[in-house]
Amino acid sequence: MREKVEVINTDLKKKKEDLKKKAKKRSQIADVWKRLKKSPAAVIGIILIIIFILMAVFANYIADYQTDAIKMNVVNRLQSPNKDHWFGTDEFGRDIFARIVYGTRISLFVGLISVGIALTIGGTLGAIAGYYGGKIDNMIMRVLDVLLAIPTILLAITIVAALGASIMNLMIAVGISNIPGFARVVRASVLSVKDQEFIEAAKAIGARDHTIILKHVLPNSMAPIIVYATLKVATAIMATASLSFIGLGVAPPTPEWGSMLAGGRNYMRDSMHIVMFPGLAIVLTVLSLNLIGDGLRDALDPKLK
Amino acid sequence: MGEKLLEVKNLKKYFHTPKGLLHAVDDVSFSIEQGKTLGLVGESGCGKSTTGRVILRLLEATDGDIYYKGQKIRDLNSNEMRNLRKEIQIIFQDPFSSLDPRMTVSEIIEEPIRLHKLITNKNERFERVLELMELVGLSERLINTYPHELDGGRRQRIGIARALSLNTKFIVCDEPVSALDVSIQAQILNLMKELQAQLGLTYIFITHDLSVVNHFSDDIAVMYLGKIIEKASAEELFNNPIHPYTKALLSAIPRPTIDKKVKKIILKGEITSPINPECNCRFANRCNFTEEICKMKEPSLEEVISNHFVRCHLFKG
Amino acid sequence: MNNKVLEIENLRIQYVTDDGTVEAVNGINICIDKGKTLGLVGETGAGKTTTALSILRLIPHPPGKVVSGFIKLEGLNIMDLSEKEMEKIRGGEVSMIFQDPMTALNPVICVGDQIAEAIHIHQNVTQEQARQKAKEMLEMVGIPGARMEEYPHQFSGGMKQRVIIAIALSCSPKLLIADEPTTALDVTIQAQVLELMKELKEKFQMSMLMITHDLGVVAEVCDEVAIMYAGRIVEQGTLIEIFTNTKHPYTQGLFHSIPNIDDRKAKLIPIKGLMSDPYNLPKGCSFCNRCNYAMTICETQKPEKIEISDTHFVACHLYKDNLDFQLRQ
Repeated sequence: MREKVEVINTDLKKKKEDLKKKAKKRSQIADVWKRLKKSPAAVIGIILIIIFILMAVFANYIADYQTDAIKMNVVNRLQSPNKDHWFGTDEFGRDIFARIVYGTRISLFVGLISVGIALTIGGTLGAIAGYYGGKIDNMIMRVLDVLLAIPTILLAITIVAALGASIMNLMIAVGISNIPGFARVVRASVLSVKDQEFIEAAKAIGARDHTIILKHVLPNSMAPIIVYATLKVATAIMATASLSFIGLGVAPPTPEWGSMLAGGRNYMRDSMHIVMFPGLAIVLTVLSLNLIGDGLRDALDPKLK
Repeated sequence: MGEKLLEVKNLKKYFHTPKGLLHAVDDVSFSIEQGKTLGLVGESGCGKSTTGRVILRLLEATDGDIYYKGQKIRDLNSNEMRNLRKEIQIIFQDPFSSLDPRMTVSEIIEEPIRLHKLITNKNERFERVLELMELVGLSERLINTYPHELDGGRRQRIGIARALSLNTKFIVCDEPVSALDVSIQAQILNLMKELQAQLGLTYIFITHDLSVVNHFSDDIAVMYLGKIIEKASAEELFNNPIHPYTKALLSAIPRPTIDKKVKKIILKGEITSPINPECNCRFANRCNFTEEICKMKEPSLEEVISNHFVRCHLFKG
Repeated sequence: MNNKVLEIENLRIQYVTDDGTVEAVNGINICIDKGKTLGLVGETGAGKTTTALSILRLIPHPPGKVVSGFIKLEGLNIMDLSEKEMEKIRGGEVSMIFQDPMTALNPVICVGDQIAEAIHIHQNVTQEQARQKAKEMLEMVGIPGARMEEYPHQFSGGMKQRVIIAIALSCSPKLLIADEPTTALDVTIQAQVLELMKELKEKFQMSMLMITHDLGVVAEVCDEVAIMYAGRIVEQGTLIEIFTNTKHPYTQGLFHSIPNIDDRKAKLIPIKGLMSDPYNLPKGCSFCNRCNYAMTICETQKPEKIEISDTHFVACHLYKDNLDFQLRQ
């Protein structure tokens, strides 16, 4: 008799263990990935961006920075694409392929960091403005409106011009000029979540403000923010290239797509490849990020489940 | 006569709007005894939901007192209030928006226990979640599902389980069944009744549906534009409605029978704006019995019959 | 004698999605005579709205698809019509009133113009005449004609529903489809709107398809009732037959789930369980897993339509061999 009871008890225990194992949170990222895979455009974007990332990470193994990307070699100048120089050479005889590979590092790095800066500062301001509303909201948003009134690129130019041209300053400039945009998106997103009943429910069970913002408001307002950030990395890369193009970005001879375009534009008539390849690199990165952004917008929408 | 668990005195809640002061709740008083249910009935915009939220201090009252077990709720500081939330809870109308879509069933039910550190041991907490799920009739295999994967009835059960997860004594039920299908509605109503009997809960039942409230409540207060216009025991109110609005409301319910037809009282017009109301009877412009005095002076809530209160000039003493 | 305004025969509609196929409507037969009102009753997901939309050929395609059956409007099979001819029917011969009056009106066009637009599209009249008619319609639904120039946000919920009724009736339709017209309204306003609809139905000699989940509303406005469950009609009959001689266990379950306002001690007897997963309906009767009378046959075989009287049908195995079977009270 006693044994029987014990058997039942262990059975029950086992069942509960099973349940507990299952209680591990089913990953929502997996769900999003499943839906993202359904969009061919997004998959192409992801493949492209992975190629670019791999290029940036393994640049050392693809080409040598000193000899291929930086060192002038006037004998080989303005060669068309051939088997030694896949993308040809530029006006100083440097290998364009190597320069694009190393340029990827700078572009992706500047893009990510500047968006990171904008997201952290803009996002925090936006979340505070959205959640508390009233006077705080008014104060934060009016200050940001002033920033918003200046065109992004003009603002970035002003900041770089004031701080001096360097990669660091470039990131700060692009980052700051994107703050108002992020603040607006985060605020709007927080506002739409904040009035839902589950936030009220959290208050009713006695959750404190910071718990509510971190555990309920932000996770539910993530979707538009992620999409916006993805798209903004693309614009940040464009802005970096634009600033470098007008000479306010990365100092030569550091390979950067925008400055490569700028340097090559005098030779465009005879040697198209000099501008074509860096241009193509910019277009493809921006395009792939946009494709991913659009794909994410659909994949993150829980209503489509 | 049982013990008064909750007492509301002259409660007022005004909202500032661009058009003027909105009198959402205007001088509302009532009390509820331990283990009983008070039905708060009225049409949209009458202030019934606002009343519920003000009691829980999800909204701050403009004026008036709320006593819970003799304790003035409005004077509590945030820590004391947080403590009190273990006992007073709310069930929401919309089971689709009242649950965080990014949390699983177990996380939702567990959250209050974790926040108040009632059970710190993870395994015990898990047992408690299973216990609560069983209590509200949720199968334990649903423990890892997300709310959007479930139907309205099950979601509402999650909401009830969450409300019960603490040492709940008193629940504000804000239209808990009006978003559900009829057959599910009956299941949830029965569940709530069973839980009341089993756990000795006290309810405020906010609804626009008189047939539900009749079935569910011991006492009923009818609200119109922020004021209680009639208050009595459920039995008394349904057998002997006095206020013209209550009468019209009762007759307007579509009855699922064909043998006895009740003569309908069709009210003219619609509810007026609660912004800057005039000092007259707020129902005067829709009432079929309006007299001169109704447009001049606001009636007071009078005890017409023992324990039956009416706010109407036509019935005084 | 062909008095039939609407005939639906053996209509089957499926929604094909990535997760599987939903048989939203599964072989239903409906027929409405001139001037009569049929109440289509059922819970969320029963297929009521799909049926209504199919009459206007407005089923979103994909994923929706009419698999078989036909719909006839006064003898005319609408399945054969071109899209152009269909446009004439929508809002002309058949109008629809939607559940939510808040979203059914265009917020940037004044209500008078919205009514006039409907008239102008379907009738051969000048703008001026259309506006004149619009004003008459507005007054007919109890809104002063002077409010024609106002915008939807200036109207309350009940008033908006009146405007929508005015639009729906502006072209004197033969058939009015009302999809839960009063669900979003307050009780006293609901009473007003129902009263108005009854009045206008008499006046225009319209037929009406009333979609609702509220048996109380049915008792007030309908002549005939069809109870739908999981895409099938489980019981159909005249109002009196359904209310006094309830045959199907689901219909009975619905009645028992409604709190009785005149008897507050009455206990609610809910229907147990939940509606079956529409992707995965039982092989036999769709209701068998919730039914208190379920027999072995119910699990394996779909019930046939059984005739109780000329007008009263029930799809339930209980009556297969024994027409006089009585449900327990």
